[in-house]
Amino acid sequence: MEVSDNISSRIVEAYIGEYASGKSEVAVNRALQLARQGRRVNLVDLDIVEPCYTLRPIKKRLLDLGVDVLAWETRETMGLGEAGNILRPGNRWALRRSGDVILDIGYGVEGARTLHLLEGADKDPDLKVLAVINIARPLTGSVSDIVDYVRGLGRVDGLVNNSHLGDETTVEIIQEGAAVVAEAARRLGLPVVATAALAELAREIGPVDAAGNPVRPITRFMPQTFW
Amino acid sequence: MSVQPAMPKSWRMDTKPHKFCPGCGHGLVLKALGMAIDDLGIQDRAVFGCDIGCSLLSWDFFNVDSIQTHHGRTTPVITGLKRANPNLIGIAYMGDGGGYAIGSQHLVNAAARNEHITVILVNNTQYGMTGGQMAPTTLPGQKTETTPYGRDPQKTGYPTQGPEMVAAITREGAYVARGTIANLNQLKGYIKKALQNQMEGNGFSFVEVLSACPTNWRTNAEETWKMVEQEMPKYFKVGEIKVPGKEGRENG
Amino acid sequence: MAEKPIEGEKRVFMTGNEVVAWAALAAKAEIMYGYPITPQNEIMHYWTRTAPRFGREFLQTEDELSAGFTTAGGVMAGRKAFTATAGPGNTLMQEPMSMAEAMRLPVVVVVQQRGGPSTATVIYSQQEVTMTTMGGNGEGLRIVYSTATHQELFDYTIKAFNTAWKYRFPTFVLGDGYQAKMRESLTIYDPEARGIELIPAEPYLGRPGVPGVDRPPAQYRNTYNVEEELYEVLQGYFQDYEKMAPEVAEYEAFDTADADLVVVSHGVVSRAAKGAVKELRAAGYKVGYFRPITLRPLPVKELRELGNRTKQFLVAESANGQLARLLKEAAYGCPVEMLPMFKPGVGITTEEVVARVKEILG
Repeated sequence: MEVSDNISSRIVEAYIGEYASGKSEVAVNRALQLARQGRRVNLVDLDIVEPCYTLRPIKKRLLDLGVDVLAWETRETMGLGEAGNILRPGNRWALRRSGDVILDIGYGVEGARTLHLLEGADKDPDLKVLAVINIARPLTGSVSDIVDYVRGLGRVDGLVNNSHLGDETTVEIIQEGAAVVAEAARRLGLPVVATAALAELAREIGPVDAAGNPVRPITRFMPQTFW
Repeated sequence: MSVQPAMPKSWRMDTKPHKFCPGCGHGLVLKALGMAIDDLGIQDRAVFGCDIGCSLLSWDFFNVDSIQTHHGRTTPVITGLKRANPNLIGIAYMGDGGGYAIGSQHLVNAAARNEHITVILVNNTQYGMTGGQMAPTTLPGQKTETTPYGRDPQKTGYPTQGPEMVAAITREGAYVARGTIANLNQLKGYIKKALQNQMEGNGFSFVEVLSACPTNWRTNAEETWKMVEQEMPKYFKVGEIKVPGKEGRENG
Repeated sequence: MAEKPIEGEKRVFMTGNEVVAWAALAAKAEIMYGYPITPQNEIMHYWTRTAPRFGREFLQTEDELSAGFTTAGGVMAGRKAFTATAGPGNTLMQEPMSMAEAMRLPVVVVVQQRGGPSTATVIYSQQEVTMTTMGGNGEGLRIVYSTATHQELFDYTIKAFNTAWKYRFPTFVLGDGYQAKMRESLTIYDPEARGIELIPAEPYLGRPGVPGVDRPPAQYRNTYNVEEELYEVLQGYFQDYEKMAPEVAEYEAFDTADADLVVVSHGVVSRAAKGAVKELRAAGYKVGYFRPITLRPLPVKELRELGNRTKQFLVAESANGQLARLLKEAAYGCPVEMLPMFKPGVGITTEEVVARVKEILG
């Protein structure tokens, strides 16, 4: 059962976080969740350290599922990451597009500062910057690590627990993540917006996890990209 | 109907819009270069070499014969070309990594031998294409992917002073300047003089350009210009550093 | 102030490049020298982020020539030093690596293969096998591990330091762009907590005492006067290499005893080969799987045994016969027919291997 979002207000979410924390997967699924509710959604690739590896390969499939994807087409680019293009010009203006805007912000030492590249980010009243946390990633494995990490990111409005071990993910690790992220969030004074979990595991957990966070079921798309 | 700003004749129209990031300085530098090529009427004789990194995206930018080389090797390729056919006007275009790191030995030696080529080096204080690592021109305290806590000059030195080095090791006949995308008319003038220096057979010419990379700097428009116009000139002085016939003068 | 990077062990989710950085930390590597080149940059990114916490050092050099030579300097100072590179950077590494080969230096180099030759693609290939195993102007006196999983990237990066310091041959961990960027779970651990002894480093230069007074001066060279002198030195090295080979060579194999055809592959392609052989066996085909884990030294004895009793090898690689060339040399004289499945710079899937085997066997 999906919880419908407030129909009238515009949803603008920027997913940031550690390398391989699951930002892209969470962003893609969030965009699809909104599209299924009949909303107009724009999914934007703002990964500028590893451009073109995430959304580009699945762009067509997402378009067929009703999500407008702002990412390079393979044929528009040249080389990738050493002889290629980083920022797609149209992506700078993503906030001007009508409908919801879901942003996949890549990793990088500057964290949330990447949002400076988004025209109007500092003034957008609906923008929420959400940090995706996977406690199976060594640099965000404990409450204190997560607190330090999130503090170093810059502007963060909420956390998303995306604790997983890829194909080996179990309900235990998701729930453990929920508890750790919830405690970190409490210390940071931030809300935990959701726990993301693979659809089968989400069914086992139910609509709310052990820490009381809403559960967002995820279908994996990233294995169809390079990773 | 929209009004299109005039583009240099030597630009290749079917490869536009170009592939550089929005806000990138390369487009501006290449415009200045294009205008200089137009003014000097050398579109048929010029050969444009580019390096690995964002400069590579200019391989099909002009209606000028071009070659994309290896990282740091644009200077020797253009040197070899010019030596084999001195009628050509050799332009070696590269970034701060290609010129001051991996390409530094070639830059130093081409300068020392007074090769009759023109090197244009775009300085945006980091390695853009590969994701924003430290470059020789990274400013003290600047955060990059390999200086995540800020560049510590105690450990990695201060930003490379390229044109000053080239001026010191070249003799009479070399032209050396540092321009900026914040002043395109001045930059075009420097590039033109650099190319003329080659055309007149005087010697080595080198122009460094202070440029912007808002993508890797993660800066909005205001912060980008602040970096180019205020922060970078603290370490990199804009002006002519060596002009043939004006031995002993420091800055233009 | 320096804590241990990993206490005990834990299950984590990482990209290959990060695995390398953590393994080097766990192996007590003290300094990394490196230069940016895709697809290995994250090894540097993660090393620079974590190094200060654990008291380790880093230098970004001006290029790969320097990265290789600074690593040589680092080991000569008696520190566990390493570097990482790919593609054109690996090409540049050949000069410093020949010096390491000549002077028996325990340098550790991680190579994440990308398309070649020249800049080509930044993504993936297995086209640096020839260069990594036999590069430079030497005789291939190197040790090369070819990994296929993140667990192996972790295990063999740690092992590489031990192998290098024990046998004193430059040691390489040969990965590729897919392994570098792919995400997988693995168990990272403190090697000493698992009973793995970490061979200590020791200085070549700068030991205590006044040279010529308290101790002989430590003086090293890589230059000789006459051919005979070089010949003697190399004979000594060849003997050391032959002695080391059976202790270091590793391989993985199954279902070869009654196989008509054995699929031979290395690195990440062996994952596809493994899946294919299992599928084909289930469908009744008599096929086997062989994977050299060390490309230098190759497990020659096992290869020749297999080459003497098997009709055909299918050599599957993302290169134009670079693995095949090594196998042919090792199996020279064996009656086995070597069939190619060469896809330079392109990934190979289980389905493709299955199709190719069916094409051959009918």
